[in-house]
Amino acid sequence: MTPRHHLNEATLVSLAAGALSAEMAAVAATHLLECEHCRDLLEDAECIGGVLLGRQQQAHASAETHQRLRLDMLNRLSDLSQSGASAAGARQTAEVPADPDELPRPLQPYFGRSWSGLRWKWAAPGLHIVRAAHPGNDTLILLKVASGKAMPVHGHQGTELTQVLKGSYDDALGHFGPGDVADLDNDIQHQPVASSGVPCICVAALDAPLSFPGWLARKLQPLVQL
Amino acid sequence: MSKAKANSPDGTYWVDLMGAVTHQRDRESFMRIYDHFAPRVRLYLVGLGLPDAVAEELAQEALLRLWERSALYDASRGALSTWLFRIARNLHVDRLRREPNWVVLEDDSEHSDGFEDNRSPGPERLAEQAQLESRIDLLSAVQARLIRMSYFEAKTHQEIAGELDMPLGTVKSHLRRAFLQLQKGIQQNQ
Repeated sequence: MTPRHHLNEATLVSLAAGALSAEMAAVAATHLLECEHCRDLLEDAECIGGVLLGRQQQAHASAETHQRLRLDMLNRLSDLSQSGASAAGARQTAEVPADPDELPRPLQPYFGRSWSGLRWKWAAPGLHIVRAAHPGNDTLILLKVASGKAMPVHGHQGTELTQVLKGSYDDALGHFGPGDVADLDNDIQHQPVASSGVPCICVAALDAPLSFPGWLARKLQPLVQL
Repeated sequence: MSKAKANSPDGTYWVDLMGAVTHQRDRESFMRIYDHFAPRVRLYLVGLGLPDAVAEELAQEALLRLWERSALYDASRGALSTWLFRIARNLHVDRLRREPNWVVLEDDSEHSDGFEDNRSPGPERLAEQAQLESRIDLLSAVQARLIRMSYFEAKTHQEIAGELDMPLGTVKSHLRRAFLQLQKGIQQNQ
């Protein structure tokens, strides 16, 4: 199943450049697991990085520095061959059967290994969340929206990256199903509505607090600490 | 091999050297790669804000990984500089996050899931590389600046917006357009 909603190319550039926060990179990496289109674009962005790397003017490091480091490199190669290490072979293609209970790998450092291990917390009618363990400066949360329910109306002052993991939702930007990513800016106000049938589960990274204009949502915000 | 060839955009030079590294474990060939790329990786890491000693250590580690994992390099998938950039970037990001369990993007040239590569392999990719180099020179001043701030300073869109006093949306659309411009230089034969 090919996702229809992709990462913004500007986000892929940042990902390639190591310029995304760990939380944003975790959501982006989760999308990449499912999306060959974005993996191809990421390779192009890394290709740009490689060309830029190669084009730099040679550093003005002294010849002495380079000789010292060169010698160190040769020593390391000797150490390796003495220890009997050989060139790494081709990647193992051992087939590990997919465990349906396993969370996507990029999310595991934050949420644990399994879906069944998640401790969902009530946040609002029809909304449960799990906050990431030890996040950095950005917010990283799992959201579970009951089928047919809407997220409280919100806008946000920064960047929001949301990957649909299960179920689907609709909002002004379209229909978002498993594998789709919403890569949003601060000029979008949107009200996602979970499709009927199964709960919609997403992972979202935000680099600024959400703002909830509605009076109820404003009451909820400090409780939920979004 | 002459110095002139070493600095040429002719990617077959690096491909040939990597072949010798992988199949004969040829140190001479590896050191030619080292002499060209190690100073550049150091310069890249220093530019990201690392102290000289740390940049030196990470650059040594990056080139060592290239030696150890040389069999994983697939020239039909991309240039050596792309792979080395990926290795160096991952070392930098890993160190920033200081957590060995953080999942990082794969630094070998294969996708972890083994999907088919539909891109044109071989000589066409090398020609695309040359196209890319000339297209970088054609970026507008603003685009070039944002690309530099992304790749050489690892600044987030928000940080760039703050530093340049530019709306976030504008930063993103400049970067997006710059990427699409450059990408034409990679995908010429698609």
